Amino acid sequence: MRIEFPLWKPVLIAGASLAVVCACAIGGPGYDGYEGAGYVGGYYEPWGYDYGGWGRGYRVGPPRRGFGRDGGHGSPGGRPTHVGRPAPSIPGRPRR
Amino acid sequence: MDRGAAAAEHLPKTTSMEKQTMKVLLDRHRRRASHGVAALAGLLACATLPAEGASAATPLQLPAITDAAAMEHHPGKVIWADLVTPDLAAAERFYGGLFGWTFQDIRAGDFDYAVATLGGHPVAGMFQKPIPAGQHRQPAWLTFIAVRDVEEASREALSHGAKSLAPPKTYAGRGGQAVFTDPQGAVFAVLASSSGDGSDYLAAPGEWIWSSLLTGDPGRSAGFYKAVFGYDVFDLPSDDGAQHVILAADDYARAGIHTLPPGHRHPHWINFIRVADASRSAAQAVALGGRILVEPHADRHGGQVAVVADPMGAPIGLMEWSDQYTQDEAELK
Repeated sequence: MRIEFPLWKPVLIAGASLAVVCACAIGGPGYDGYEGAGYVGGYYEPWGYDYGGWGRGYRVGPPRRGFGRDGGHGSPGGRPTHVGRPAPSIPGRPRR
Repeated sequence: MDRGAAAAEHLPKTTSMEKQTMKVLLDRHRRRASHGVAALAGLLACATLPAEGASAATPLQLPAITDAAAMEHHPGKVIWADLVTPDLAAAERFYGGLFGWTFQDIRAGDFDYAVATLGGHPVAGMFQKPIPAGQHRQPAWLTFIAVRDVEEASREALSHGAKSLAPPKTYAGRGGQAVFTDPQGAVFAVLASSSGDGSDYLAAPGEWIWSSLLTGDPGRSAGFYKAVFGYDVFDLPSDDGAQHVILAADDYARAGIHTLPPGHRHPHWINFIRVADASRSAAQAVALGGRILVEPHADRHGGQVAVVADPMGAPIGLMEWSDQYTQDEAELK
């Protein structure tokens, strides 16, 4: 005598549970996606910030108004650029 | 007729009592299997629901990012930054000592957050959470860019190649925010502030003055941020072989995009705090347990910039900006 029970159900759910646990453990695209108390923000970045290599001339700051004139570079990637017009600076008005 | 009874009916040469006994055994076996299914379903629910449950139990209310009465909106302006750190108390000691910030702690359940203020004005947020066990992660400041509608901005970002790290969510007091990686992998956030974006003024020492994106292809990145935030894009002269781009809105420079220097692997945003003396602040950062990542050096505007790491490793920029520049601008107009 052979009697079959629907054992595929617990097997399927166990597999789904395992998949969920594995997905949580592996995480997203290199970032830690934990949301404490539902807060969206606060992401640990992948390790590996290298801050060497800022050689002479590597400047990241804003231009001063009227001093950082556009050098007439092309339009990489086809994006529009303002050629010849000076780049604006940061706000200069002091807080009231 | 249920399946157990049907199976018992088809058993050959069995007495009525034997059939009844068999039916009871089969029913018991079936109930055990059903209980197992229910237990596994419960386990699955427990594995997937805790974040939602915590969220429902402790709804977050965050302070407004600006105390200005005027509801000004400046899409594209960098209006906020959140630090993620494994040690909030240590972060408060470091940033309080370096910039004179004071802190308003907000705790709800497992949520440890602090709002940094300077002169009574909100400056930044700090969020404590443990670094996942066994993982080598980098504490970092998350850059928030102003948008009018977080849902619309999210659709725009995703349609131009961004990936969502956290979908739009609204917090009472603050507004709606969402987190993404841009097409080259740099993390940024958008914020539709319910209190407005604050007026445009020159940052005081201790406040954010500038933001830079270091990335592999500045031209491609500029195209993405222009499409999502509507920036005007300016190329800057370069004598270092790197490409430097300014993103502008409202006729103000809002951020820079720069080619990753040699040896850098990971595209990322970095934000700069205005300081009176970058060399002195960098030395002070070391005295407070931090370290210098980029030594102070002159930048294009004439002032010094430096990059330091806090004691937990999060990088932050220091930038001098002389009030004399403002006077020069006034004379130019």
